Amino acid sequence: MADIGMTEITVIISAMLIFFSIVFGIIRLVKGPDTVDRVVAIDLLTIVTIALIALLAHEAERYIYLDVALVYGLLSFLGVLAVARYLEKGI
Amino acid sequence: MSIPVITLLTIVLCAGILIGGLLAVLLDNIVGAIICAGLASLFASVVYVVLAAPDVAMTEASIGSGLSTMIFLYAIRKTQSDEQSREDEE
Repeated sequence: MADIGMTEITVIISAMLIFFSIVFGIIRLVKGPDTVDRVVAIDLLTIVTIALIALLAHEAERYIYLDVALVYGLLSFLGVLAVARYLEKGI
Repeated sequence: MSIPVITLLTIVLCAGILIGGLLAVLLDNIVGAIICAGLASLFASVVYVVLAAPDVAMTEASIGSGLSTMIFLYAIRKTQSDEQSREDEE
């Protein structure tokens, strides 16, 4: 156990945090009695997913994966924005 | 060392795809069903990244999660206004 460096500890801790965030976000998405709860849950899951893609890019050592996270960060707000405008009868 | 962590996260993602698909079918609230379909698409794109296909993941992220949600909501709004105007005429 002496050869575990700082990077591995950081990766494992961040993976655990992402794991619990995904689990609690899915619980809120399943339980959420209102549409607004589900919108907030899917926004949380999108942001956690961006962090997960960055973690996977570090683990696989292929930094082309960061482009996926970049596209996701640029486009993630569109779904939430569309639902918000739908609820306010804007579309 | 960190390979079991990635495997655990992949299992959670696949369970999330399953939950999203089931909720998209079973929910009565139609906007909630659309959001759950977006969840299935979101996690499917991350599984594509795990399977080393970043181009497929990028297409899935932009089209499956972003564009299809907007098109579904737009179509539902248009058809609801058709139904309401038809009820008003009757």
